[in-house]
Amino acid sequence: MSLAPVVRDDFSAPFFEASAEGRLLLRFSPSSGAWSEPSAMVCSVSQAADLEWREASGRGHLVSWTIKPGRPRDDQPAQDTVIGIVETEEGPWLTLLLPDADVAALAVGAAVEVRFVQPEGSEHLPVGRFVG
Amino acid sequence: MTAAIAGLGMTEMGKIYGRTATQFAVEAISRAAEDAGLTLADIDGLYVNPGVKNDTDLRLQSTLQMRDTRLLATIQGFGSSAGQMVQYAAMAIDAGMAEVVACVYADAPLKEGKRAGAAYPGQARAMEGVGSLPFAAGLKAAPERYAVAARRHMERYGTTSEQLGAVAVAARQWAAMNPAAQMREPMTLEDHQSSRMIADPLRLLDCCLVSNGAVAVIVTSAERAATLRQPPVHVWGWGQGHPGYVNRRDSEFGLVTGAARSGADALKMAGVGVDEIDVRELYDCFTYTTLITLEDYGFCAKGEGGDFVASGAIAPGGSHPTNTGGGELSSFYMWGMTPLSEAVIQARGQGGERQVPQHDLVMVSGNGGVLDFHSTLVLSPHPKTR
Repeated sequence: MSLAPVVRDDFSAPFFEASAEGRLLLRFSPSSGAWSEPSAMVCSVSQAADLEWREASGRGHLVSWTIKPGRPRDDQPAQDTVIGIVETEEGPWLTLLLPDADVAALAVGAAVEVRFVQPEGSEHLPVGRFVG
Repeated sequence: MTAAIAGLGMTEMGKIYGRTATQFAVEAISRAAEDAGLTLADIDGLYVNPGVKNDTDLRLQSTLQMRDTRLLATIQGFGSSAGQMVQYAAMAIDAGMAEVVACVYADAPLKEGKRAGAAYPGQARAMEGVGSLPFAAGLKAAPERYAVAARRHMERYGTTSEQLGAVAVAARQWAAMNPAAQMREPMTLEDHQSSRMIADPLRLLDCCLVSNGAVAVIVTSAERAATLRQPPVHVWGWGQGHPGYVNRRDSEFGLVTGAARSGADALKMAGVGVDEIDVRELYDCFTYTTLITLEDYGFCAKGEGGDFVASGAIAPGGSHPTNTGGGELSSFYMWGMTPLSEAVIQARGQGGERQVPQHDLVMVSGNGGVLDFHSTLVLSPHPKTR
């Protein structure tokens, strides 16, 4: 697994507080009723500025992906890295590392569940796992 | 609209070490002025587009000892910059702001003894906040970011790696006839298929080169261009399209690019139909970029780009000559100046062995970000009549 460490800033503090508890937060606009990705500053549909953090289901499906070939290190065999674009049930897309993903299971629409892992020196970060 | 490209200046490009972007830029502008039959003193407008290293800017004016400049700016539209600079120069000339505008791209990312991949920034980016999550997940450099776009196209339309390979092979066939191209040795589809995977589905031979160097063009009025040394290349039309992809449901990322709007606007301004275009010079940072730009400009139907390129249409002898200098895949990587410089050469009829016999209308694309920013030019050796 090759997740790089991420630290919080003021904006992202609520997101990472929730991620440490295993909950996924997205941005939600009460005025438009639309959800946006975690980094959104205005609503991705209406451009309204009334975004607030709101808990999402943590479920979604695969939209696209890439596989980065691994390089053998020491005695360890090369391990490929699979990165997916996952569309959450609420609509926003997340770019997620898919650890231990079965390459044969990569397909548009494959059900994905968001989990959280904590790399050394990092907040808890979302990753995707195939379900079903 | 009365603007024309009157001069083209290109430095040596590729693994040229020990020179700064500014030094390359000075040489390219000097060559472009000389090509036009002008001197540096004739230039009263300057647009500077720094590349990935971002180490030259509008202070190039003082380096060039230019005085009383009437138009001066650093332009940054990433890969769409070259087309943008020509557009802004044409409008400034039409407005009477300036008479002779130099537009230059310069970059020197390659360092001797370092791999090309090390030339690109990103590794030092601060990993702070939720905006860093895609990067932390591994979507860092251009190949993997374009890979997810290409994969989406493949899954939706059935586009194959072999079809992407056809783009690479065609570019190399053109490059073989271009003395300035960095990669001229023959390449087969088998070579493409056996090249190492960079970020699935993109292989090494799906990826463009990295080059040090500079390219400049001189833009002036059609009237003045007609009095100068080179055959004028008239600017018939232009457009820009910046889709503003949002990361959410219904995004067309990977399926439709800004080329759709930009190309349609440029053709409308030029007063021509896409079927009238003789030569295409398309920004080809990856093979997939060529393919989707062909679709979005309307040279083939959406989703049929794979079959179109595999038919041989874009290769030498094909029905739709495209990237006739070898493009960024096989010739050199000067952002949007790669397609623009070859467009000028083709429109003038100076392509030598690779010259396309029919070259009355040339369409040029520029693409930046990950399909985020797009510019288009329609050029012709003939004054605009429509």
